Amino acid sequence: MLKLMDGQLNHAPCGFLTLSEKGKIVSINQTLLSILDYHMDQLNGKSINSILSVPSQMFYQFYFVPLLKVKGKIEELYISLESSSKREIPVIVNAVQQTLNGETVTNCILFPIRQRSEYENELLIAKKNAEAALVEKHQANEALERALTKLKHKQEKLLELYEQTSRELELARTIQKTSLTKPILTNDIQIEAFHQASSELSGDIYGFYQIDKHRYGVILLDVMGHGISSALITMSLHSLFQRLISFGMNTKTVMKELDDHLHNLFQDYEEVRHYCTAIYLLIDTKKQEIEYCNAGHPPAFWQDLQRNQQELGATNVPIGMFEEVDYNNKTISYSPGDRLLLYTDGVGEPLGTGHLATLLSESTTSPLVQLKENITDSIATQGNSHQQDDDQCFILIELK
Amino acid sequence: MNKDILFRKNVKVIGNGPQTILFAPGFGCDQTVWEVVAKAFANDYKLVLFDYVGTGQSDVKAYDIKKYSTLNGYAQDVLDVCAALNLENTIFIGHSVASMIGMLASLRQPEYFSHLIMLGPSPCYLNDPPEYYGGFEKDQLIGLLDMMEKNYLGWATMFAQTLLNNSNYPEVRDDLEDRFCSTDPVIARQFAEATFFSDNRKDLTKVQVPSFIVQCSEDVIAPESVGQYLHQHLPNSKYQKLQAIGHCPHMTDPEETIQVIRQYLQSGAVGC
Repeated sequence: MLKLMDGQLNHAPCGFLTLSEKGKIVSINQTLLSILDYHMDQLNGKSINSILSVPSQMFYQFYFVPLLKVKGKIEELYISLESSSKREIPVIVNAVQQTLNGETVTNCILFPIRQRSEYENELLIAKKNAEAALVEKHQANEALERALTKLKHKQEKLLELYEQTSRELELARTIQKTSLTKPILTNDIQIEAFHQASSELSGDIYGFYQIDKHRYGVILLDVMGHGISSALITMSLHSLFQRLISFGMNTKTVMKELDDHLHNLFQDYEEVRHYCTAIYLLIDTKKQEIEYCNAGHPPAFWQDLQRNQQELGATNVPIGMFEEVDYNNKTISYSPGDRLLLYTDGVGEPLGTGHLATLLSESTTSPLVQLKENITDSIATQGNSHQQDDDQCFILIELK
Repeated sequence: MNKDILFRKNVKVIGNGPQTILFAPGFGCDQTVWEVVAKAFANDYKLVLFDYVGTGQSDVKAYDIKKYSTLNGYAQDVLDVCAALNLENTIFIGHSVASMIGMLASLRQPEYFSHLIMLGPSPCYLNDPPEYYGGFEKDQLIGLLDMMEKNYLGWATMFAQTLLNNSNYPEVRDDLEDRFCSTDPVIARQFAEATFFSDNRKDLTKVQVPSFIVQCSEDVIAPESVGQYLHQHLPNSKYQKLQAIGHCPHMTDPEETIQVIRQYLQSGAVGC
């Protein structure tokens, strides 16, 4: 039976509700009835569920009942009521258990919070959006971390590869160096050489050989470009000129063979065609003659004891450039004490041929190794001011 | 390892009877809900109570979002407790969703369990017409999640302390003594989603352990038709309807709840 409330509580500015232990409505004030749009007799002894929305009915079982049982009271719980016309009314509930005459009841006050609820809804939406943005940010961060890890891994691999390549190049450089001939010093002639690559491997190569008792062959080549590709070509030419020179072939034939070799090498690979400048000297110490062939190479210096200088200029175009070229040679006669300087672009261009000529002239009375040192020092000094971007090589010959 | 598990899940062991009863709380509140019912069995049984990781006074730091996104994660908590305490032939009493958590655990390791006692169980809360009536439409369940969320606005200060939950600071744990039904909102929402959107109907016929379905009166969450459905599909199940109204008979009507459980246990159902 619904109990009558005194006037003040009946019309209090909040809903008031008493529930039995079984969750039945024992009493309800007029304020709440008006909010719910029910008459008192419609709710008499009915379950609390009849004025709760479905989610609230669940929430009531999961939270309201256990909390009330354990704590004996409830504060500030948010639920939504359902009016007779199925309209939802968000409310805040406070409840307290009371035992009177052996009967336990629950007294509840309920405040509708429509505006506050809407505000809270907006807050929740904003919160959810912020959380979603945070999740997105985390995901983006994770993706970034993964990309970074991948990049780091690749970088490590690259570094490893670089180190491996460096080791390989160092090995190749050693191999190239071993192919260079050692200085020659006899009663008839002295030959010294300098060789330095711009990168690990050089496009310059030389060789000097004693062919027989009185004959010596001296060759200097500069393959266009520098680095691995040029170096490979120098090695290919090296094995050929070593044989040709050892057979004592004349300078024209040596050049022609080298020219043919390059044309054969690139006949099907026009896009990688390399040409090469070269100078070859065939020195006969008995006749005191030099036969030479200069294929597009910087002119060699020839100086006598009186410091008169002449140049052994180009007699031909570079090898590997045009097919079917006939090579020419020239012959000069020398006197004991004459010196020759053969060099590549990498030496001639930074120092200037004038400077080379001066160095040669100034060192007339110094030993050949001293002259070599002077030129090397000059190159080193130039190397400080100029970025070395070409291979450097020169050969010094003193005739006796 | 075992100690870790016992700490993480706030495991309490009471009494020293020959057989063990493992009490598993349902969705919403912690092991405190068993206080009255458990006491009635303390003289005859060894009692084990625990909280799922993330609820009650468990170690929130052990919470794993992926693990607890399905009921299997919670079932793993039950199995962890059984393993840590070396339990076997245990009577499992679960309320609400814990009934299904216990059932899932029994499917994986039946040897741990002698009986599954289910208070207000439901294998699926969603309606699946025409053959199944779980009681709820999806938007109604989402309405519940929203309502939980709105209540967290008021409880936010309490959850803020969750982050401070650290055994090095016992005074912080003391502050949290009062958590009872309040859980970190993210964890509570995940538990709610795992609970209310699960469908365990297909698993029912695979259950080997005998079960006892305790059905409440006027239970909006697990209506009588759902209890009957379980009884029909769970092999070797018994069914008992209570006069108790609502979804929490162990709290609102502990005497009746104790009585039916005792009857079931004494009816010769137990004993292998």
